[in-house]
Amino acid sequence: MASYFRRKKITFWPCGFRISGDTIVLAAVYGPKAGSKKNESPEKASIEVLWKPKSGQIGKAEREYEMILTRTLQSIFLSTIHPNTTTSVIIQVMHDDGALLPCAINAACAALVDAGIPLKSLAVAICCGITESGSIILDPTKQEEQEMPAFAYLVFPNSSLAVLPGTPPLIEGEPVEHGIITSVTHGAMSVDDYFDCLDRGRVASAKLSEFLRKNLAQSQIPNHSSKAS
Amino acid sequence: MEGKSEELEGEMEVEAYRRLFPLQFYERHLSDSVRPDARPLNKARPTSIVPAPLPSADASAMVKIGNTTMLSGIKLEIMFPSSDSPDEGCIAIDFHMPPICSPMVRPGRPAEAAPVISQQLNNVIMSSKLIDLKELSIASGKAAWMVYLEIYCLDADGALFDAALLSAVAAIAHLEIPPVCLNEEGRVVSSQGQAETNTDNNGNTNNSNTEKRKLTLGSIPFSLTCLLHKQYLLVDPTDEEESIMPSLLTVVLDTSGHLISLYKPGGPVLAYTSTTKNCVALATRRVKELEKILKEALSEMDVIEN
Amino acid sequence: MASKSGTISTYSPLFSRKNPNFTNGVRSDGRHFHECRLAFLRTGAVNAASGSAYAEFGNTKVIVSVFGPRESKKAMMYSDTGRLNCSVSFTTFSTPIRGQGSEHKEFSSMLHKALEGAIMLETFPKTTVDVFALVLESGGSELPVIISCASLALADAGIAMFDLVTSVSVSCFKDDLVIDPVFEEESCQDGSLMIVCMPLRNEVTQLTVTGEWSTPKVHEAMDLCLGACSKLGDIMRLCLKEAASTLQ
Repeated sequence: MASYFRRKKITFWPCGFRISGDTIVLAAVYGPKAGSKKNESPEKASIEVLWKPKSGQIGKAEREYEMILTRTLQSIFLSTIHPNTTTSVIIQVMHDDGALLPCAINAACAALVDAGIPLKSLAVAICCGITESGSIILDPTKQEEQEMPAFAYLVFPNSSLAVLPGTPPLIEGEPVEHGIITSVTHGAMSVDDYFDCLDRGRVASAKLSEFLRKNLAQSQIPNHSSKAS
Repeated sequence: MEGKSEELEGEMEVEAYRRLFPLQFYERHLSDSVRPDARPLNKARPTSIVPAPLPSADASAMVKIGNTTMLSGIKLEIMFPSSDSPDEGCIAIDFHMPPICSPMVRPGRPAEAAPVISQQLNNVIMSSKLIDLKELSIASGKAAWMVYLEIYCLDADGALFDAALLSAVAAIAHLEIPPVCLNEEGRVVSSQGQAETNTDNNGNTNNSNTEKRKLTLGSIPFSLTCLLHKQYLLVDPTDEEESIMPSLLTVVLDTSGHLISLYKPGGPVLAYTSTTKNCVALATRRVKELEKILKEALSEMDVIEN
Repeated sequence: MASKSGTISTYSPLFSRKNPNFTNGVRSDGRHFHECRLAFLRTGAVNAASGSAYAEFGNTKVIVSVFGPRESKKAMMYSDTGRLNCSVSFTTFSTPIRGQGSEHKEFSSMLHKALEGAIMLETFPKTTVDVFALVLESGGSELPVIISCASLALADAGIAMFDLVTSVSVSCFKDDLVIDPVFEEESCQDGSLMIVCMPLRNEVTQLTVTGEWSTPKVHEAMDLCLGACSKLGDIMRLCLKEAASTLQ
């Protein structure tokens, strides 16, 4: 189980700014349990996401988040390792203060690592907002999200640490961590603004993935003995 | 698996090969830059809009992209505007996948895709500012129009969102607000036919006249779904393609060139800058195509009416 | 953002009920009492289905898809004969006042009963044939149209039947019998009679009568319906033949 607090990451942010207001999401991982979901191949492991809103019933927006999260996790999940099993990720929203989906993705990822589920890489999620004046701000609060004309949720894989010497291979002239796993946008923006967002998001996600890696490494060691299998 | 398929290839019928080794079947086509339905990779399926198929709805449109068929209908009703926006109406968008559209959907077990597409449509139509909600006001603080826009999928064969969005905007573009006025009890009644008596002694009604009026639309959003597989980029995928190669990227652009949505919900293939730029360029071309198709359909609608 | 819907209560302002008037034996849409609406039928409307049909009778527009024979639900017991599963739903914009768009349970079971007797269920043991209907626009006499359209869709799917099933309804207004009534006529009729039959075998699979009828009136109405049913059967056969000939 891992919870993800925004405050934690602020100190590491290239343009860390706000202290007020936190988005808090709790992610719990159960499994791999025996049996795969209906309509899914028994030759592969499947992953399911259950989204629990802060209050009330699950609505259309939450169903969409569930689908995006499932597909995002599927892309970093090694489905060939435990065939015919299901891993459940349960997302409980504690407090929503903007950038909820990126927060949930980061939390889910941390929880999967904590549970010892093998992954291809981490998924690093970030929210970029575009202000009226055209400047880009990272990780907006809920109020900023509502006032801004447009914002984008972006998810990238983290950079790989290879033991092989030399620089890692480029794909289409770019390092692996520049590839978009997930992109969701709200509001109208110019195409150039979007590509600006991508650049900013990549820089921020690099820092974020560094932070995640450091934190996860730290948390694994002391917890090791106390963890129930 | 790989080796086995090579072995069997020679002695297998095409249809059996397609069923048993769908990915290999597709990759052999893709390496020759062609798809099993004889389309080149960057070509969308034939698209058509049937204008106003349902006379009993306030507006309707049917769209076909290849086999994918969408029917959208609008019903107008009256609502009390909320106190924070007294001079605005409301638009409620819903997307349905009834069991007739696909063998995957059964009654009582709704399709997982339906609420997602519904939410996406909502997001895109609101983001694009296609409709000015102020135009839906009847009397400030007293009454406004509620636009119920519902899209039904009649036949699901891939690129559902593209077809749904096109049918939604076609219905909205065709929508005409009927003439109404407030009566003494504050209820809204139709002023068609009894216009003379009402307009004289009703000083407090605005936006009520005796003619049907069309909404002034902002720039119209159009979308294109691309499928990413290895180095290939397939435009407007069919259902079969979507189920075999699951990385999709949907670009929504409006007629003034703004990016309304770039939607990529996960998937094993990552989208790099060059791929993303390619998708945007393909979408720009597709927007022009769809704009022309919509324009033709709308003028056809006008001919039917007059 | 104005996505907060559903909870807002709304009403429709423009619904004024039109009463049907019959002057000189002519109905509001220009038909005579014993004249059916123009029918348009087409098979193969939905590609994803095993068989499908689209029917348009005046303003009543219906699509029926047939899936299967396919695996029955896991919970189902073993059965020597095949199962038939029917579901009818309406679009929310099909009726003059916005509807709920949920399944119409009554029509679903009526459709099931109407088709059950005509299908050779023993030809597909252990499996289920699903018949799903969606009413796109309801302009009156929906159920007879759904039933006829469903049998066309079953034929398109290649499900073995004894004969095509056709259906026609009649409304009764005091002394007048009106065949294939439209929405306005149905809403103020005194009684109605619907026959579902297999015209070539001269067998009736379903007969529903509501309201007050005298015996001679019932006889007259049944003759009227059976006559119309056999004509409708001819049209449907023609439609199937056309579809088959274009395939070749």
